[in-house]
Amino acid sequence: MEVSLARVDYLQVGVTAQKTMRLLPASGRRATQKVVVGDQDGVITCFGIKKGEPVTVFKTLPGPKIARLELGGALNTPQEKVFVATGSEVRGFTKRGKQFLSFETNLTEDIKAMHISGADLFLCASYIYNHYCDCKDKHYYLSRDKINDVLCLPVDKVNCITPVLACQDRVLRVLQGSDLLYEVEVPGPPTVLALNNGDGGDSGEEIVYGTSDGKLGLIQITGSASVPKWEIENEKKRGGILCIDSFDILRDGVKELLVGRDDGVLEIYSFESADDPVLRYDYVLSESISSIQGGCVGKDGYDEVLACTYSGWLTGLTTELAYREGGSGEELKLSQEMQSKISSLRNEVEHLQMKVLGEREKYQQSSQSSSAVSSVPAFSVNDKFTLNKDDASYSLILEVQAAIDIILVQSDVPVDLLDVDKNSAVVSFSNCDSDPNGNCLLATYRCQANTTRLELKIRSIEGRYGTLQAYVTPRIQPKTCQVYQYQIKPLSLHQRTHSIDHDRPMNTLTLKGQFSFAEIHSWVVFCLPEVPERTPPGESVTFYFQNTFLGTQLESTYRIGEGCFKSDNISTISILKDVLSKEATKRKINLNISFDINEESVRHTLKLIHPKLEYQQLLAKKVHLIDALRELQVQEGNVDFLVPEYRSILEEADQLLEEYKKQPAHLERLYGMITDLFIDKFKFRGTNVKSKVPLLLELLDGCEQERLVAFFEAAS
Amino acid sequence: MLVPVFTLKLSHKLQPRTVALGRFDGAHPCLAAATQAGKVLVHSPHAPGPRTGGSRAAPSSQDAHVALLSINQAVTCLAAGPLRAALQRDCLLVGTRTHLLAYDVHLNSDLFYREVSDGANAIVLGKLGDIPAPLAIIGGNCALQGFDYEGNDLFWTVTGDNVRSLALCDFDGDGKTELLVGSEDFDIRVFKEDEMVAEMSETETVTALSPMYGSRFGYALSNGTVGVYDRTSRYWRIKSKNHAMSIHAFDLNSDGVCELITGWSNGKVDARSDRTGEVIFKDNFASSIAGVVEGDYRMDGSTQLICCSVDGEVRGYLPGGEEMKGNLMDTCAEQDMIRELSQKKQNLLLELRNYEENAKAELSPQLKEADGQRGVIPANTQLQTSLSVNLGSDSQSAHVELCISTTNGEPQSATTTTYLHTIIRAVLIFAEGIFEGESHVVHPDLQNLSGCIRVPLTPPKDVPVDLHIKAFVGYRNSTQFYVFELTRQLPRFSMYALSSPDSATEPLSFVSCATNERPQRIVMWLNQSFLLPEDAEFQSAPFQVCFTSLRNAGQLLIKIKPGGEISISTDDIDLAGDIIQSMASFLAIEDLQVEADFPAYFEELRKVLVKVDEHHSVNQRLTADMADHSNLIRVMLVQAEDARLLGDMKNMKARYVELYDLNRDLINQYKIRCNNHTELLNNLKAVNQAIQRAGRLRVGKPKAQVIAACRDAIRSNNFNTLFRIMRSGVASS
Repeated sequence: MEVSLARVDYLQVGVTAQKTMRLLPASGRRATQKVVVGDQDGVITCFGIKKGEPVTVFKTLPGPKIARLELGGALNTPQEKVFVATGSEVRGFTKRGKQFLSFETNLTEDIKAMHISGADLFLCASYIYNHYCDCKDKHYYLSRDKINDVLCLPVDKVNCITPVLACQDRVLRVLQGSDLLYEVEVPGPPTVLALNNGDGGDSGEEIVYGTSDGKLGLIQITGSASVPKWEIENEKKRGGILCIDSFDILRDGVKELLVGRDDGVLEIYSFESADDPVLRYDYVLSESISSIQGGCVGKDGYDEVLACTYSGWLTGLTTELAYREGGSGEELKLSQEMQSKISSLRNEVEHLQMKVLGEREKYQQSSQSSSAVSSVPAFSVNDKFTLNKDDASYSLILEVQAAIDIILVQSDVPVDLLDVDKNSAVVSFSNCDSDPNGNCLLATYRCQANTTRLELKIRSIEGRYGTLQAYVTPRIQPKTCQVYQYQIKPLSLHQRTHSIDHDRPMNTLTLKGQFSFAEIHSWVVFCLPEVPERTPPGESVTFYFQNTFLGTQLESTYRIGEGCFKSDNISTISILKDVLSKEATKRKINLNISFDINEESVRHTLKLIHPKLEYQQLLAKKVHLIDALRELQVQEGNVDFLVPEYRSILEEADQLLEEYKKQPAHLERLYGMITDLFIDKFKFRGTNVKSKVPLLLELLDGCEQERLVAFFEAAS
Repeated sequence: MLVPVFTLKLSHKLQPRTVALGRFDGAHPCLAAATQAGKVLVHSPHAPGPRTGGSRAAPSSQDAHVALLSINQAVTCLAAGPLRAALQRDCLLVGTRTHLLAYDVHLNSDLFYREVSDGANAIVLGKLGDIPAPLAIIGGNCALQGFDYEGNDLFWTVTGDNVRSLALCDFDGDGKTELLVGSEDFDIRVFKEDEMVAEMSETETVTALSPMYGSRFGYALSNGTVGVYDRTSRYWRIKSKNHAMSIHAFDLNSDGVCELITGWSNGKVDARSDRTGEVIFKDNFASSIAGVVEGDYRMDGSTQLICCSVDGEVRGYLPGGEEMKGNLMDTCAEQDMIRELSQKKQNLLLELRNYEENAKAELSPQLKEADGQRGVIPANTQLQTSLSVNLGSDSQSAHVELCISTTNGEPQSATTTTYLHTIIRAVLIFAEGIFEGESHVVHPDLQNLSGCIRVPLTPPKDVPVDLHIKAFVGYRNSTQFYVFELTRQLPRFSMYALSSPDSATEPLSFVSCATNERPQRIVMWLNQSFLLPEDAEFQSAPFQVCFTSLRNAGQLLIKIKPGGEISISTDDIDLAGDIIQSMASFLAIEDLQVEADFPAYFEELRKVLVKVDEHHSVNQRLTADMADHSNLIRVMLVQAEDARLLGDMKNMKARYVELYDLNRDLINQYKIRCNNHTELLNNLKAVNQAIQRAGRLRVGKPKAQVIAACRDAIRSNNFNTLFRIMRSGVASS
């Protein structure tokens, strides 16, 4: 059965955060549900749809940003009380908009995540988890990394309170009271949690998670351990997941999984056979989807998926196919409704335009005065800067509430800016070769009209570090721009992992000196991505990392006065040594650096790289041949006379080209890393081998592993 | 939504920009396109296709409807159409870098095969002006040539640079077609037969031109711009990060007016309204578009729009009928309208909020540090710009300097931040044709921040440029900045600095002409076109100004003599031409004859002409050698094979070794021939350019006369006459 849903845009509120829109349960005779949404202007809007027109039930006054919006109520009654988290406060409203609760928590930071179950309130700030019962502090937990979402298994099914935290370090933390029960490793940084099927499944123990790199999974949380059920990879390279809901939109008796992503993709997964979800439908909105829920909103009897986007659009994908079905009379009525809607909007816009003209004039006049100041409030920008594991590049996503005019990207480190196919913006690079101001990259993106979201891909080089800045100018008068900064760290291509292979030959770098735990932690934060900024609790800490490009690993263990870094890649150790000693010198701390170089590790790393190198060289060679072979094919009419090798190249030509295109400069990067390895190996011995690099490059073209290893060993 | 009425897959790669549709047997439409290995593919789904067995055509092994024609040279352009009315069927024209082939597909025979020394980069077929026979007009290196069906050269003229695109269009509405020529020097030129009647400067190489209707035509540039002109004024243009591969005019929504259909390098096809550029339809292919044509490919009496991708995918679209109401896309117009209006409303609300917040802030006018971070600046902050000529220093070459400063800027040496002095965080300049990309950014590092930024500009060509400046103004620690936007025009001859006349280096070359213009008007033109420190004023004749070029330090002297005679002295013939053209258009002079002498340039040209002769003779010799060699090879091959059959292995080996050596010689000779040919092309280009330059020194009729006379002189190999014409503008004096 083909799924076909029609898009309806209801109305627009302010910019919304993740999980800030819910549907109130249907009440009384009416089957349509009301929508309640909280935005970053602090306004809660509750509306229903009458005859296609949104009718506001209530609207609160502006205030601080709303970070979360949840529904609650006494257990086993309709969950129709509205709770919002703003700053460090939780407020409760009835479905009519009457405030009945204002709970000022004792949290020092702003609330980031909230879950409500009966009288139990679960709140999370960046690192802190708090459990309140009837607004009384019950439990507290300090997480090792940032908490993105919180959930509690349904109390009526599980019979005890089991909160689950989704933490940035790729771990779900299952708590009991104030203590950690156990940790569940997930394949990416989890950004959102939801109960499977809306109620945790039959056992009430099943939760669905979504990660910032676009993966989905189902895990059963039992009292003592976790059981992974299924996992969906992000093969289409779609955006990170922001919201999940379960709803039977297909009306097949089984609830489908509704997923909203940060690149505007809305997906519906169904469970046909067994328990593995199958993608049944997707729709692309132009901006990230912050909340999603299934229900009945627009018209009685027609289910729909309601999505709330970053800039506050409430958009429904409804099963009511307004223009294809239904009698002609109804169609006519509908188009009349549309027409009246358009004309009323038009009037409104005209009215606003007049008002804006007046204000503009006033603003112009104020520029004559010498004492007046000009102050324009900040516009909101939603930004995300993440490392992609698949191609070892960073993606920077910038989303603005209004259309973007121009983005200027500036960097003081050499980075490559790659083209992203779905961007329509016109890029222009300024020449930075002899820039006296130390710029290594200056590029402008001139966006087409109505672009609110731009994605950039950036390729960094390990060992070169600095700052990347993006100046974002939207198309709003008076024109302003905001600058956003992103650190390109020295070991920029490393990613946190849960465990490493301890059997590899490792090189060790040991630091000793008069430094505090916080100090060495800040150095590690400076060097490596994905390390929490807050100093972890406890006396010492260990982090594991993997190089996303080469697959080499790094273990870092440190405490007050001592740090130990182990890696099978000499270059990683070399970069760390350089940066750490520089940082320590900056703070005038005397460091005692010692290293233990394992010669075997070079051979090991080369072995690790070699298959990739060989594969890439072969690929390049094949791609090089394609055109010539195709010409032969045309000239000769058939390809029977070719050797099977060439014939297979012709057959696979399209895949080969596709693959080659996907990883631009892959070979060059590998060459660069092998060269670094070579130089670093001898640097630790105190010899400079730069003069031998051309020889090495020559050897690389030949690509024989044994000769390469021999060269590395003989070059001393 | 409009969907393709047919799709088919040709199992061949198509070369972009070489797709044409013709009725080669007079009845059945066939697609022709260049494919790999110097072949042209003819897809004839209805007719049995060209007869095979002749010199060129061979059936494809992969597809019964496809025949392949061997051209054996890289195909650069392709056209199909009725070249000979009596034939009653279309012929196929194939251009390569050295030849033009007119081919009768039906009979599988050549109509003519002509060597064209300037190459054929673009081709168009049709009637031009008053010339009665249909012409195949090709554009090569600076030259345009038109041939009739017998291969007679009936039309010839030169243009400013290598031609990249051609179109025929009734530009001035006189019922006769004019020739539009797009070239690598960014210009679109319009020729009424061999007289150039208009010239439009664009911002990049013009890669495609397509007549729409009346005097309206579409164009595409190599930087991803497409747009529509009506006569000399541009209606609209859009720029994409992709490249337009092919443009075509077709009425897709049946409103009686053609839309501009563009096939893009990313596989997108879109149809845009000729008036607004608004997209009314789009579709996507898996690979880049190779060409867009139209024809009745299903033979059902309706014309389809046919799009082909480089992978050989072909889709045909029928124009949308009544019931679609011009709505070709899969969206609901009303929903779109609502979305658009809501977006507008949201933007207005945001702007209103900006003013409200601003009004609130005004109540507390004391600037605090936090305000500085938010980018709160004094309301009377203004941005000032000035353009001047900077003669450069040891570290920096001479350039035009754009100085941008705020009225309350921080001085350059300031060390502490005060909230009375603003800084410019960065400057973005958007301008076309003077930077590598479309923009140039100046982003000082933190130490060098101040209220003033100087931007060196070195426009490579003498064209007036609009500089769209955006400056980010705030404080050192601001995270939000004000964006000041303003536009300045860079005068056409900004790369020339006013200097004092120096008789020692006074250029020997000059152009002089007589006009009836008041000298004051000429001085006005001077003030507008050059960057002068202060406006020049005309006192009395003789009046003289002297400039130095910032590019090569060459001198430029402009004198107005008492009799109204103007003389321009410079060794740069291009500059002289530019000045004449600029002045003529400012003063609205229609016809201008001049006296000119460029001794150094003419001497160079003479050398080039001698070289062209040499190259021609070398070429002939080489061709003869090659023919000899290939005969030898044939003989040797027979001998070797004979030896093999006789079992005389020793002799066979010896023969094959000889053959191998001969083959190597042949390859070497081929390389020499190639080099010789490239040089020949360059020299020919130089000759064509010289004629064009001589033309540019004149305006209107004298210009066309000079070009025609020069052409005749070259034909008759009369160099002295050529130089005389270039000097005086007429053949006999």
